[in-house]
Amino acid sequence: MTALPTRTPTRPASRPAPTGGPFTGAVAAEWTKLWSVRSTWWTLLAGVLTMAATAGQLAIYAVNANTDDDPTVNPGVVDVGEVVAGALELTQYVVLALGLFAITSEFATGTIRTTLRCTPSRGRVLAAKAVVVGVVTFLAGLLLGAVGTAVARPVLGEWGRAPLGGTVADVVASAAYLALVAVLALGLAAALRGAVLTLTVLFALLMIVPVSLQEPGITVLTRIADAFPGVAGNHFLAGDTEPYPAVVGLLLLASWAGAALALGRWALRRRDA
Amino acid sequence: MITLRGLTKRFGAATAVDDLTVEIGPGQVTGFLGPNGAGKSTTMRMVLGLDRPTAGQALVNGRPYRELRYPLHEVGALLDATGVHPARSGRAHLRAMARSNGIPDRRVDEVLDLVGLDGRAAGKPGRALSLGMGQRLGIAGALLGDPPVLLLDEPVNGLDPDGVRWIRRFTRGLADEGRTVLISSHLMSEMQQTADRVVVLGRGRLVADAPLAELIAARPASPVRVRGPEPAGLAALGARLAAEGATVDPDEGGLTVTGVTAGRVGDLAYELGVRLHELTPVAASLEEAFLELTAGSVEYAAGPTGGETR
Repeated sequence: MTALPTRTPTRPASRPAPTGGPFTGAVAAEWTKLWSVRSTWWTLLAGVLTMAATAGQLAIYAVNANTDDDPTVNPGVVDVGEVVAGALELTQYVVLALGLFAITSEFATGTIRTTLRCTPSRGRVLAAKAVVVGVVTFLAGLLLGAVGTAVARPVLGEWGRAPLGGTVADVVASAAYLALVAVLALGLAAALRGAVLTLTVLFALLMIVPVSLQEPGITVLTRIADAFPGVAGNHFLAGDTEPYPAVVGLLLLASWAGAALALGRWALRRRDA
Repeated sequence: MITLRGLTKRFGAATAVDDLTVEIGPGQVTGFLGPNGAGKSTTMRMVLGLDRPTAGQALVNGRPYRELRYPLHEVGALLDATGVHPARSGRAHLRAMARSNGIPDRRVDEVLDLVGLDGRAAGKPGRALSLGMGQRLGIAGALLGDPPVLLLDEPVNGLDPDGVRWIRRFTRGLADEGRTVLISSHLMSEMQQTADRVVVLGRGRLVADAPLAELIAARPASPVRVRGPEPAGLAALGARLAAEGATVDPDEGGLTVTGVTAGRVGDLAYELGVRLHELTPVAASLEEAFLELTAGSVEYAAGPTGGETR
């Protein structure tokens, strides 16, 4: 076929020039997709309920431990932020589902082919998803922190304290933790594709492997466990100074999330959709 | 303009597309034909950057799809599966697509209107869409960016006759506007109605690339079917035709004659006083041309069909 005059289409000039950059567009598309399925709202509701129930339960434990007959395990007066951080250990699995499903549902339903046709750059798609998942889970984290505080504070009564500054800082830290874990889930899911497989690997990374390493109490193994994302996140949330400053915990967790995204991008580029 | 250069795709030991070199130009409907498993869908997926070629290139307007910044403005596609999330409404699906390419939301309503989906149908979740509505939604998505190149994979699959007619008119209109339109099908009869040019694949290899008329004309002369109530008269007519050099195949209640025109057969029958009930030139169909071309390259000669999707 040579370049005949038909190359100049006689179509009406109804085509407006694209507005915004392709990355802005990809983010807008991901945002639209996230809020146009009901499961997003259910996930958030499940997160709120899990947080309320777990924070309430942990607060009751703290009160009971202070009022039972065995004074050796008395935690004393606890920070509400501590209870909220504790409740995150369970609640995080509900929230990280948002990161996970942002891509596993696309593979399961075939919408990934539509997504990649709209945004062929794999890195751009994944970055857009990471921005949306990160922002939404950060905001959800703020909400969950507020819910956890609102539930735990009255239950703790005289055994709790919630200094305004400290509590706000704890809630913001929880939100940052959740956002990073959700992005970690997203990156892993992009590489592994299946929801069940990804969740299994996440469980192993966040809980099973580090807990197994810590169990024998051997220093070397405990140090290795400290490098795992969940443990690093907990050191960050607890404001620890040992084995490393809290901010290092945050950076470690962020590195895990970044590495997971890099892995996901590599897999998306390499494999057929 | 779609350019394939030595395009090859292997899945393990199986070669799905084998060294395919073709150019698909604008202003006409190009039929992409082949039996199930010939590699049509795989080729389309490579053009759209979904599958990575093992070797060779697939270019759209001279560039690989993965390098396009706003692909919906350059290429529209309908794939075998429309790719709508079962819980997401058709309108939200299109809106997400539009936003990804900087297309205003009002264009979504325009394309919905264009394919004849009303507000109620567009509000249904993906799982509630009928096959026909899904195809229309898929085409609406393909038209969002008003692209000069369109790829439609088996667009008439599962459509009712109205839908089939609609697709035919629609794709004709798109080609007449100067667009490049590539339609894959395993239904040869469908292509005969729609395509200007056909590219035929068999076992991943290029079997034919020619204007439709040329492909049909290359067939031997069209046969003429003759029927009548008088066996003796027909036999006489047959003998006379054979004497004129025609090939005559008697069959139940009639003759099939090759090598003369229907007009000549009618004249002879009149001359001999033979009553006829039927005198039909049988047009050489693309179906037959296709069967001849792909004979020997059919992957599942008598096997199951419908294994096109992966």
